[in-house]
Amino acid sequence: MITLAVFSLFGVLAVVSAVLVVVQKNAMHSVLYLAFTVLATAGVFFTLQAEYLGAIQILVYGGGIVVLYIFVIIIVNLKEIVPEQRRLIPKIFLVGVPVLLCAEVVTLVLRTGFPAAPPREDGAGFKEMAEMFLSSYLLPFEAASVLLLAVLVGAIVVARRKHIDDPD
Amino acid sequence: MIPIEAVLGLGLIVFTIGLAGVLVRKNLVIMLMSLELLLNGVNIILAGLGRHLNSPRGSIFALFVIIMAVSEAAVGFALVLSYFRHKKSYDTDALNDLKG
Repeated sequence: MITLAVFSLFGVLAVVSAVLVVVQKNAMHSVLYLAFTVLATAGVFFTLQAEYLGAIQILVYGGGIVVLYIFVIIIVNLKEIVPEQRRLIPKIFLVGVPVLLCAEVVTLVLRTGFPAAPPREDGAGFKEMAEMFLSSYLLPFEAASVLLLAVLVGAIVVARRKHIDDPD
Repeated sequence: MIPIEAVLGLGLIVFTIGLAGVLVRKNLVIMLMSLELLLNGVNIILAGLGRHLNSPRGSIFALFVIIMAVSEAAVGFALVLSYFRHKKSYDTDALNDLKG
């Protein structure tokens, strides 16, 4: 019962701050709400007994990606941003399509009967996950490391300046 | 005990907010943030289903999604920086020519 209460609390926090990420005018405020969403999602993971996932979420998202966003917003000058304009009717349409999609999938989920979860012994999931990660999923794991290397090289190549002594 | 429908609903709502953000906003950085929201919604669903089915695969798949999110953020920022040097703008409306 208390797990459900904590889950609802973190879920509501995540949804509210996700809405605030999208509607903020100032990009820096959006980043701060994104950090809030990420931490609330980590709380949701903890209540779902995915502790490792929650820890990785805090480390990678909260410590890495959010800081990266803040640096990028500091590097590009915020004052040069022109206010964005979009007409009201396309905006309503563009919000309506995802909302309809969500309503459809929620209806499908509510109509689907899920089998009851089998009972679970505490503490076994973590060991099981580590063993499966490094045996059955070894090849995707290695592919992910190659992907990260490619991303490292690619980001440097795309973002570097063409000439070092060129001021722009 | 958390009902699986609640977890799926939460993940779908976060996914929907992210999708609406990608479609509506024109600021490139906020569009990238909305992409992170999309991936977070998917991760919530994966973690919930892994818990429901009592399988570690949910967490494993969510970990791979996080790896993809990090890669996407890094390359996306490199592209935003390089684009900003050309155009002095974040706005996607300025992205209307094929010449560098």
